[in-house]
Amino acid sequence: MVQAAPTPDDEALRERFERDVLPLLPSLYGAAVRLTRDPTDAEDLVQETYLRAFRGFAGFTEGTNLKAWLYRILTNSYINTYRKKQRSPQIVEGPDDVDEWYLYDRLGGNNVERSAEATVLDTIPDEAVKRAVESLDERFRLPVLLADVEGFSYKEIAEIMDTPIGTVMSRLHRGRKALEKALWETAKERGFVDA
Amino acid sequence: MPECEPECTETLLEVEAYLDGEVDPALARRIQVHLTDCSPCMDRAEFRKHLKELVQSKCTERDVPDALRDRIRQLIADP
Repeated sequence: MVQAAPTPDDEALRERFERDVLPLLPSLYGAAVRLTRDPTDAEDLVQETYLRAFRGFAGFTEGTNLKAWLYRILTNSYINTYRKKQRSPQIVEGPDDVDEWYLYDRLGGNNVERSAEATVLDTIPDEAVKRAVESLDERFRLPVLLADVEGFSYKEIAEIMDTPIGTVMSRLHRGRKALEKALWETAKERGFVDA
Repeated sequence: MPECEPECTETLLEVEAYLDGEVDPALARRIQVHLTDCSPCMDRAEFRKHLKELVQSKCTERDVPDALRDRIRQLIADP
């Protein structure tokens, strides 16, 4: 059952929502774009997230983790609506075949100077990094986004994704390895490295 | 892989959780001490840290479309 929306009498609640939840719009929108891979879908997803959050806000305990609460709503909305809509083929196999230091070892092969590997990373354009992240299977993309872009702890990610913490750690690890591979492929295609 | 010493093995195994701030203080301290002493491990740790920062800086959307901002404001005003 959908909880009743707050009435105009809930002025204090509305003010608190505006004060605490509106400022999170840029980060929620960013996550929505990376998740849906489509700006229009991202806007719809964020709108739905805000609507659900607003409806449920009376039940949110002030002082608990608001950002994690909102990301959980965003994640659930995405899974319920947009994943079905996109009908993207589910890749079952994870990137288990990727070496532990995949990108480092490859970039190091191109540069003899110490720490040059990190410098090469900076030459990869923004769009290419975004595409590499978006190329990840969503089971791996979500923990990477939550950890590296939003800075959530493993425990928070486990709560947001409703998964055991061990699963979060394993998916995060595999997601990062897959990302290294995707970045390497991108850098190769675009000629940023000699491979 | 710079696995010259047991400390290298431990550091490289735990560096991901370390950079995520997810290891206990005692292990974090051991890793810090080792990284100061071992430049091959430090180089790898710095690379991973750089990669994390790269993902964060490139995947952050700084501009929310005005239309979306308006829709959200309207939704709060008239749910």
